[in-house]
Amino acid sequence: MLFIVTEFIGNFHPVLVHLPIGILLFALVLELLQTNTKYQSVALAIPIAYLTGATAAILSCITGWLLSNTGEYNESTLNLHRWMGIAVAIVSVIGYYFSVKKQASISKYIAFVLGILLFTTGHFGGTLTHGDGYLTKAFSATNSDTLFVPKPITNAQEALIYKDIIQPILTEKCIKCHSGSKQKGNLRLDTEEGILKGGKGGAIISVGHAEKSEIFQRVSLDPLNEKHMPPKGKTALTEQERLFLQWWIQTGVGFSKKVKELDQPNSVKLALTALEKNASAAIIPSNIPNELVDKANESLLIDLQKKAVVVLPIAQNSNYLSVNLINLKTIDEKTLSQIFDLKKQLIWLKMPAIQLSETAWQKISMLQNLTKLSIEHSNITDKQLQYLSELNQLQYLNLVGTAISSKALLQINGWKKMRQLYLASTHLVTSELIAIQSKYSKTEVDTGGYRVATLVTDTQLVKAPIIKK
Amino acid sequence: MSKHNKRIIQEANDQVLQQLTRRHFFKESVTGVGAMALGSFLSGCNWLGSKDGSDLLNSAHPLMPHAPHFAGKAKSVIYLHMAGAPSQLELFDFKPALQQLDGQDCPQSLLEGKKFAFIRGVPKMLGPQAAFKQRGNSGAWISDNLPHLSTVADEISFLKAVQTDQFNHGPAQLLMHTGSARLGRPSIGAWATYGLGSENDNLPGFVVLTSGGNFPDAGKSVWGSGFLPSVYQGVQCRGEGDPVLFVKDPAGMDRDLRKASIDAINEANRATYEEFKDPEIVARIAQYEMAYRMQISVPDVMNINDEPAYIHEMYGTQPGKASFANNVLLARKLVEKGVRYVQLFDWGWDTHGTDERGAVDYGLVNKCRTIDKPITALLLDLKQRGLLDETLVVWGGEFGRTPMQENRDGKKNPFKGRDHHTEAYTIWMAGGGIKKGTSYGETDEIGYSAISGKVTPYDIQATILNQLGFDHEKLIYPFQGRSFRLTDVYGRVINEIIA
Repeated sequence: MLFIVTEFIGNFHPVLVHLPIGILLFALVLELLQTNTKYQSVALAIPIAYLTGATAAILSCITGWLLSNTGEYNESTLNLHRWMGIAVAIVSVIGYYFSVKKQASISKYIAFVLGILLFTTGHFGGTLTHGDGYLTKAFSATNSDTLFVPKPITNAQEALIYKDIIQPILTEKCIKCHSGSKQKGNLRLDTEEGILKGGKGGAIISVGHAEKSEIFQRVSLDPLNEKHMPPKGKTALTEQERLFLQWWIQTGVGFSKKVKELDQPNSVKLALTALEKNASAAIIPSNIPNELVDKANESLLIDLQKKAVVVLPIAQNSNYLSVNLINLKTIDEKTLSQIFDLKKQLIWLKMPAIQLSETAWQKISMLQNLTKLSIEHSNITDKQLQYLSELNQLQYLNLVGTAISSKALLQINGWKKMRQLYLASTHLVTSELIAIQSKYSKTEVDTGGYRVATLVTDTQLVKAPIIKK
Repeated sequence: MSKHNKRIIQEANDQVLQQLTRRHFFKESVTGVGAMALGSFLSGCNWLGSKDGSDLLNSAHPLMPHAPHFAGKAKSVIYLHMAGAPSQLELFDFKPALQQLDGQDCPQSLLEGKKFAFIRGVPKMLGPQAAFKQRGNSGAWISDNLPHLSTVADEISFLKAVQTDQFNHGPAQLLMHTGSARLGRPSIGAWATYGLGSENDNLPGFVVLTSGGNFPDAGKSVWGSGFLPSVYQGVQCRGEGDPVLFVKDPAGMDRDLRKASIDAINEANRATYEEFKDPEIVARIAQYEMAYRMQISVPDVMNINDEPAYIHEMYGTQPGKASFANNVLLARKLVEKGVRYVQLFDWGWDTHGTDERGAVDYGLVNKCRTIDKPITALLLDLKQRGLLDETLVVWGGEFGRTPMQENRDGKKNPFKGRDHHTEAYTIWMAGGGIKKGTSYGETDEIGYSAISGKVTPYDIQATILNQLGFDHEKLIYPFQGRSFRLTDVYGRVINEIIA
């Protein structure tokens, strides 16, 4: 009971701590002001400022000490913060003494020292709450909140269960609050010792019994339950991750065992194959470039939009553009050249059924950053297709219903990143299509022509037998 | 403004002014002046601040395309809703244990404290009335009722543990499509066009196609725009007769005259807008102009006779008649032309077993035959045109069906049938960045309740918005003093089926 009460009182530390900061800084301001003869009178307020500031500082120290007992904070930073805080309290009492004694010169220096102490104590306090480097976080480009990409596992059986499967889960979803710099509930999940030791409530793993292990219980609770881990607002573990965690505990919490050495129930076997599949899926490059690009000229975009050209950023937080010419049958020179002015940002271009001139097709090769190009049913010819071979970032090309030939396709050598090629309704014959598929071995070549054979039953109705009474 | 139009507007204004005498002013303004004052105070306070909500609505061009929050994989959605609730136990959820219990009394534990639409007393269990097999490389369980769909099982992600809390058709359909079992909220298609706009200038952004003989029970509100500006509502295109009602000019009126009259109306509207600044007026102007363009573009795109013979064979369409197959082909054509959201409703899946049409071994089988080939053709056709990756296809009903044979008023129904069931049903998704060949969610051995991987209609809505590139918690619209979103305060994106 007492512990609960002290913890409750300790939680007022963040509230109280702002009082000595404000009041003692105010004392410093008053000290500086009263050096000017016009503001001599404020000197009367200095003692009371020190008195209230010192009282507040002492109360802050007490609540701070109670809070530190919960043991959730980094020891070394906590130590610095604690002693500097105590120093603030002591110096502010001394400052009060000298201000009452009206020894202005000394109390001025004390105010100055107090100011420095306040800033450093406050900074360490912030570090305890927000983590290392919180102040300069805005300047560093790396946003640690974005995707944590675990190493893809190509061979699940040879993988190490802890290092390759369990550790990535803990790193992605637990480490932020349970590691060296922040240990909520006194629990560290970033080391073997930490995991086995457990935290404030004792051990979190009961070896061999997942249902009895606190760590597994917490992540398996109903998401609306207060005790659910990770807490509300943070991404929960997926079914698969929970399954792996359960399996790891059941098989003895091995830190250096390989997957193949462990007993694998069917559900785990399926999950392992899924993991391997995800690994191969993760290798597919995204059709959005990773590098940042500058914003395109606003007036250019507005101009194009007025001409019914749909030009949009691909997402609200991206400067890359997609252009859709679905509203136009053909484009004039001016519009074309405006589109080409967007070549740095343009990555997706859709021109279904477009009719372009020879020079226009030639200019398309200038759009070096294109990753997706849809020119189905357009008037592109073999000769013009050659120009497109210079688009070496192209991943998706839709040539459905065009008049190109296999010869032209086989002559192109520039499409190193091609992943999806659509050739339905072209005049290519089967043998040519086989040749194309073998040339673009890493590409999904879809030649269409799917048939859904009509079954007799498709148009037959089943009827209930008529029972003659 | 042309002299002619000026005169018309002047005449209209004069007539209005003649009605408004001083007596009228004093009589009407008893509450009027007070209300005007309040209105002017409130419009000055930007109560909700300028959040992303109303910034999306550019009154002058309500359907102007916008970029989504992040780059979503899907550019369009085709939602195939089987109104009446198809029986998951005869289609996708294979329960051999239920076969063992066929004909036995339903255990009390499944009936305690539960409310059913029509079941009374103790019903008998009804085993699956179809043979199931595992299909494709993914091993998806699909019954013999859908032989064609079985061939494309590897493209589909199944959600087998969908749960709802509504067991009546109307509210359940509203919940699935508008996020609330009560009327008044915008449908998914309305939110999608509000968020993304429409890329094709000549076609509406949200089109609705119905088949099966009846409207869905929830009525037209299930594709309505709710509190969003009415320009975002679904436009119903019909397979038979006029593609869109009341768009065609009356006999004897030529197109130029129509254009001139629309121009005159819109000029009057613009003048009114200058006076009152009501955004709904601008939406109206946009709709008139869109309707004019649609007179040409819609009959064009709705004409399936142009399609080559092999396409007709693939879908099993019957040109001239209204049918689900025709609608599916139209959906593909609309998506090809850049329509954002195509909603199909097929009526007739409510297999209670009260008559032959509602029997799971007769009526259901026949319904399956009408949808099997077209849906398979749709997936393959989108694939060969390179559109499957950017088109999200969703299939499902508004709730499931019970593992028990329905006994209306305590008497077993004349045919084999099942009652409405909220605790578990199946919905599937394909294309648009969804994983291929997976299944998420499981039900117990008799298919009564969901035991893992439960999802709700809100989760499905959140997932649809996610594939379109929206964070469902951030696509909002301020109304009645607070920000509303499609998923209200619920919903999570079902990451387990996203590639």
